[in-house]
Amino acid sequence: MPTTEDPIVHIDGISKSFGKTVALQRLDMKIRPGEFVTFLGPSGCGKSTTLRLLGGFAQPDSGRIVLGGEDVTRLPPNKRRVNMVFQDYALFPHMTVTRNITFGLELKRMTRDRIAARLDELLSFLELDAFRDRFPDQLSGGQRQRVALARALAPDPDLLLLDEPLGALDARLRAQVQLELKDIQRRTGKTFFFVTHDQDEALTMSDRIVVMNQGRVEQDGTPEDLYLRPKSRFVAEFIGETNLLSGPVRHADDGRVAIDWFGMQIEGRAFDSTPRPGDMVTAALRLEKVGFFDARPETGNAVQGRVVNRVFKGSRTAVDVRVGDAGAAILKAYVDREVPDDVWLGWDPANLAVLQD
Amino acid sequence: MTRNTRILMSIIYWAFVVYLFVPLVLMVLMGFKDSKFIGFPIKSWTLDWYIGVFRDTEVISVFVYSTTIAVASTAISLTVGTWISVLLAGRSFFGRTVIFGLTVLPAVIPGIISAISFRIFARLLGIETGMFAIIWAHAVHNVPFVALVVMARLATLPASHTEAAMDLGADRFVSFFRITLPYLKPALIGAGVFCMLLSFDDFVRSFFLGGYEPTLPVLIFSKLRSGMSPEINAIATVVLIMTAVLGIWAERSMRRMGKGT
Amino acid sequence: MSTSSRSETAADTSRRPASGRGDSPTFWGRLSNAGPYRAVTDYVFGSTRRQFVLLAAFPIFWILFAHLGPILQMIRVSFLDSYPPSVGHTPHFTLDNWRTFFTEVIFLRPFFRTLVFSVVLTFATLVLVYPVAYFLSRHVKRDNQMLLLLLLLIPFWVGEIVRTYAIMILLGNTGAVNLILKALGLIEQPIAFMYTNFSLSFGIVYLTSLYMLMPLYSALEKIPQSFSEAAADLGAGPWTRFRRVILPLSLEGISSGCTLVFLISTGLYATPILLGGPSTTLFSETIAGFFHVAGDEWPTGAAFSTIMLLTALVLSGTFMKLMGALQKGGRK
Ligand SMILES: Nc1ncnc2c1ncn2[C@@H]1O[C@H](COP(=O)(O)OP(=O)(O)O)[C@@H](O)[C@H]1O
Ligand SMILES: [Mg+2]
Repeated sequence: MPTTEDPIVHIDGISKSFGKTVALQRLDMKIRPGEFVTFLGPSGCGKSTTLRLLGGFAQPDSGRIVLGGEDVTRLPPNKRRVNMVFQDYALFPHMTVTRNITFGLELKRMTRDRIAARLDELLSFLELDAFRDRFPDQLSGGQRQRVALARALAPDPDLLLLDEPLGALDARLRAQVQLELKDIQRRTGKTFFFVTHDQDEALTMSDRIVVMNQGRVEQDGTPEDLYLRPKSRFVAEFIGETNLLSGPVRHADDGRVAIDWFGMQIEGRAFDSTPRPGDMVTAALRLEKVGFFDARPETGNAVQGRVVNRVFKGSRTAVDVRVGDAGAAILKAYVDREVPDDVWLGWDPANLAVLQD
Repeated sequence: MTRNTRILMSIIYWAFVVYLFVPLVLMVLMGFKDSKFIGFPIKSWTLDWYIGVFRDTEVISVFVYSTTIAVASTAISLTVGTWISVLLAGRSFFGRTVIFGLTVLPAVIPGIISAISFRIFARLLGIETGMFAIIWAHAVHNVPFVALVVMARLATLPASHTEAAMDLGADRFVSFFRITLPYLKPALIGAGVFCMLLSFDDFVRSFFLGGYEPTLPVLIFSKLRSGMSPEINAIATVVLIMTAVLGIWAERSMRRMGKGT
Repeated sequence: MSTSSRSETAADTSRRPASGRGDSPTFWGRLSNAGPYRAVTDYVFGSTRRQFVLLAAFPIFWILFAHLGPILQMIRVSFLDSYPPSVGHTPHFTLDNWRTFFTEVIFLRPFFRTLVFSVVLTFATLVLVYPVAYFLSRHVKRDNQMLLLLLLLIPFWVGEIVRTYAIMILLGNTGAVNLILKALGLIEQPIAFMYTNFSLSFGIVYLTSLYMLMPLYSALEKIPQSFSEAAADLGAGPWTRFRRVILPLSLEGISSGCTLVFLISTGLYATPILLGGPSTTLFSETIAGFFHVAGDEWPTGAAFSTIMLLTALVLSGTFMKLMGALQKGGRK
């Protein structure tokens, strides 16, 4: 990732409250040009509010928003080189696809010929040629989504905001559109700021994910970072299924942390914190990172246990294994083959991420 | 509900329809009576009264006069009513409830009092009785209806539509004319026709604010005071048909347009 | 949107002119970027305060001036000794106009007659129209509801004068009712319906019934069918269902329908003149009388109008409050 480039968006300590509800608390973040950044978080955590502040539909109580080097905090939406794909698409019902798409172009004082050329380009790029004279209520959900995208891309914005644009689509179409959207972003080279509460969607599409919780950034990193190396309990639990292992630190050195987990000695990695011996810590372990062995594995962490529950999930089976002194703890894992009741479990210490909290 | 009550209810409904229509139908029939004397039975029929109405230059000019007043006052009511609605539907401000209450005030004031107060106020402003005074009174009286209809429609306009327009480079003014106004179209058509009908049919305000030239209801009224005649039936029937057609047309086009959105 | 206008806009944008206007921006593009326009809009929309002033100034002025002004001026005139002002005489403050109302009995009679008439007829209209609204909203299929409602709206659009005239023809000595009664052999001489309490009441109910129907219908229509089914499930009979479920939920419609009809009835002017007689003079005729004669009587007319307005508003306000309380009480 190029880090030398200037950010195209700089959100500088913005806060926003609605009466007593605090929607955003001193939010800081930077977005580099051409990035596909996803804002991920549960409903009500302040994602839409952030987008609306970027779009200019609301003003922050404090802080600055810098777009392409210019402070736009107080500028109205029509003066910002930012366009938005709305959650409900907000297509103008009394205008055809064509008129919807050219709406922004007309206002830029483009000549009719140039508008027409740009329109044709967008229509063929998004495969909307056949629907150019239709009205929004004559389109399917996927088509509407593409029209909204074309309309927002038309004025050639520096930043495209997308507020849960796939929320209205059914699951099957959604998976397809996710890939299409990622592809469009790659081909246009535009900066996309995408909002979703769906972790799968975020993992599939993004270059970078910002996990939000209660108006704050919980973690900011690549999908892999977030998945394998969550910083907090919130991130670990919000993204994918995970085991949380808590216990006192035996000793720690250079990121390697030895933990006493119900009498079992296990080792994990601390990425953002420096726990000291005696601290109580929690570490996260993904279900699919747990391996099954007939005998004690030679390297990595190893615990012995007894399978107490199996749930068939198609291609794999989720199993609960009772482990530790007198079976004091349960470890969940996925397995794609038959396993006996008495097993050894093992995993790479790099996959046991020690959390900050 | 039992079957019997259901039947009873439907009988009540149709009785009500008959109650509403019979007087009007009788009035229409009487316009075809071949006699100067109003009353049943009708022995022979004629079209003379209608032919007379369409030849009567006084009736025609009164008709034009009423129509002018209706169109002008409706234009004012629509503009002002829409403007008020946009204000009341927007951000809340100090005194909004009071302004809303005063917006509907002209609609709830009993007719005679409304007419009298306009008459007195017109005198204060130095407005002579006549066309201008009537247009003004009708416009004020009809603003509440426009405001209520337009506000109801505005409430259903998703905020994202005007936001999207601004996002794409429109200022508030352009966004109003290109997005909000087209969205209000069915409401404006409905409210507009309703205002026209109210103005066209209004008697009490036209009577107290009118000059020498009568509006159509005032003409019918003064003719009635000097005695009933099938000629009045013919005039009234023409009015009836026009208003009914206009009303049905507005109702239908409103419904059709309102459906999609 | 109608189909024809749709295809027009569609064709307009898809078939672009090959030449001519192609090298110019559209109207909105030119407007948005025109220097003076930009200067003005940037100034106005530059601050939320200025924006609000621009939006609010005219409507607020209109409402205060045109909606409130006439009423205030009427009240002011009611306290003057002469109006319109004549040459060489400045109007003075006086309470005489108001005193006239309370001292001269000939005015009290039409006043109370108007109130009694309006209250009684409002109630009569309610009783007459409720079953119709009930039937329409709960026993007719959705699609047909609109049609049947439209049927009732047609007479509604026909004005006061025309409908009053229709009643005159119906009830006259040689009217349809008398004709039928005679043909049936029930009467020898025509009954004098006209110019009586009866003809006036009949006419007023005829005029106002649809103002009652609309609020009732929209209140009843909002009550889900499942409510009374649920009540039936719990063993409530038809009457109990109506009294305990439907009636309380339609109170809002009853309240606004009755208020509307009451206010309209008190303000009717042409109808009592045309359908009523000397024994049925209503207050609106009394008020109007002050404006037909020479200017001196205007202040008295204004005072009487103010009294009527206050009474009508206080009565209907109290009524609505009561209904509101009833509604709230029922919900607890
Ligand atoms: N216009 C508003 N008025 C009041 N509260 C609001 C408004 N917009 C958002 N909020 C509140 O701010 C918080 C964040 O909302 P939002 O940004 O919409 O969350 P998200 O998009 O992540 O679901 C929520 O608690 C929400 O209720
Ligand atoms: Mg949201």
